[in-house]
Amino acid sequence: MPTPAPEPAEPAAAAATLSGVRAELRRVRAGLARVEEGLAALEREQASPRPRAQERARPERYLRLLVDVYERGGRPGLDSGAFGALGAEHGYDRRGLGGFFRGDRAPLALADGRVQLTPEGGRLVDAYLRELSR
Amino acid sequence: MSRERALVDGDWLEARLGDPSVAILEVDERPLVYNVGHVPGAHCVDWRRDLQDPVTRDVPAPEAMRALWRRVGIGPETTVVLYGDMSNWYPCFALWLFKLNGLGDVRLLDGGRQAWLAERRPLTTEVPPPAERDDAPAPSRHAELRAHWPDVAGAAARGTQLLDVRTPAEYRGELLAEPGYPQELAQRPGHVPGALNVSWDACVAPDGRVRSDDELRALLAERGVRLDAPAITYCRIGERSAHTWFVLHELLDLPDVRNYDGSWTEWGSMVGMPVALGPEPGAPLDAATLPALAPSR
Repeated sequence: MPTPAPEPAEPAAAAATLSGVRAELRRVRAGLARVEEGLAALEREQASPRPRAQERARPERYLRLLVDVYERGGRPGLDSGAFGALGAEHGYDRRGLGGFFRGDRAPLALADGRVQLTPEGGRLVDAYLRELSR
Repeated sequence: MSRERALVDGDWLEARLGDPSVAILEVDERPLVYNVGHVPGAHCVDWRRDLQDPVTRDVPAPEAMRALWRRVGIGPETTVVLYGDMSNWYPCFALWLFKLNGLGDVRLLDGGRQAWLAERRPLTTEVPPPAERDDAPAPSRHAELRAHWPDVAGAAARGTQLLDVRTPAEYRGELLAEPGYPQELAQRPGHVPGALNVSWDACVAPDGRVRSDDELRALLAERGVRLDAPAITYCRIGERSAHTWFVLHELLDLPDVRNYDGSWTEWGSMVGMPVALGPEPGAPLDAATLPALAPSR
């Protein structure tokens, strides 16, 4: 009967390295799990509709000005003089009117030098008209 | 038809407020804007509810058309005046639809809401009650004013002029629809092979009014439109092309102009239908490449 081969002796240095790699793997896995959790939470938040309450309330004159731009501009939109005059009617100075064109959700934009509603401006007008019609 | 019969101005309409022989109808892209204030006596016509079949993608059935005319007070001798927002594109669709159904005296308030407001004319928020006229005429179809896709395919193969009145970006195939119209997308971008691009709003002045006949003739000729030849107009759902149809048929008296109300949302979604891309009209359509043609209705 053959004699079983002896277990190979593990050098102390190699054992220490192996246990170090295993500990590092545990840390990486824990870190990955935290990243996955965070990502899932972000995706859930992105998928759910934004509550209306979080939307900044707009003053009445702000919304009336957008309706006026829509109604009085028609398809071509308003020239800057007419837009300035409309803004003044609603109590906006030149700097205040500039705010309507700033940001990625600006309600107004210039097209061929004329002031028109953006899709966001159209959405605000629709919401305001619905509110008025209640 | 001539400009005097097809278009009215603010003075003409204001002098006839309260005249029972005139029915005033407001047709807006955003119908709720009617509630902000409208021409006294004007009825609101909602293009989604009143100007299309509620189930099938089609114009309203004759009985629905007559019910609308009855509600808004149209009798056999009534002069109908249409106006609305966005420089009158939906009022033009209503005008085309009413003419398609045989109504004789239908006119447009030049400049629509935009001009009425600019001239500071009277407005009200009072909504007139339904007129419920028993003598509303029975619609009679004038099929020669409407094109279906087989007509467009035939026209594209024969070289009959097709006028794509959308924006240049839509025509070139860079956009399926202008921003803000996500509900009006076709499956493919581009244009009908051989179609010319003539944006409808080239015919509209900055004040929202239709340009003069001389200006219209010049700008259309400049864009390659033959004013002595039959034409089919189309856009995305047939409302902008109704404006160009109005210009060509009602103002400039071209006798054979049809509106293709199926427009790009139909053509650009059909399996196997040839599409041209880029700024040029492209080669005429080869009839052999068409999907099986349905008979023209």
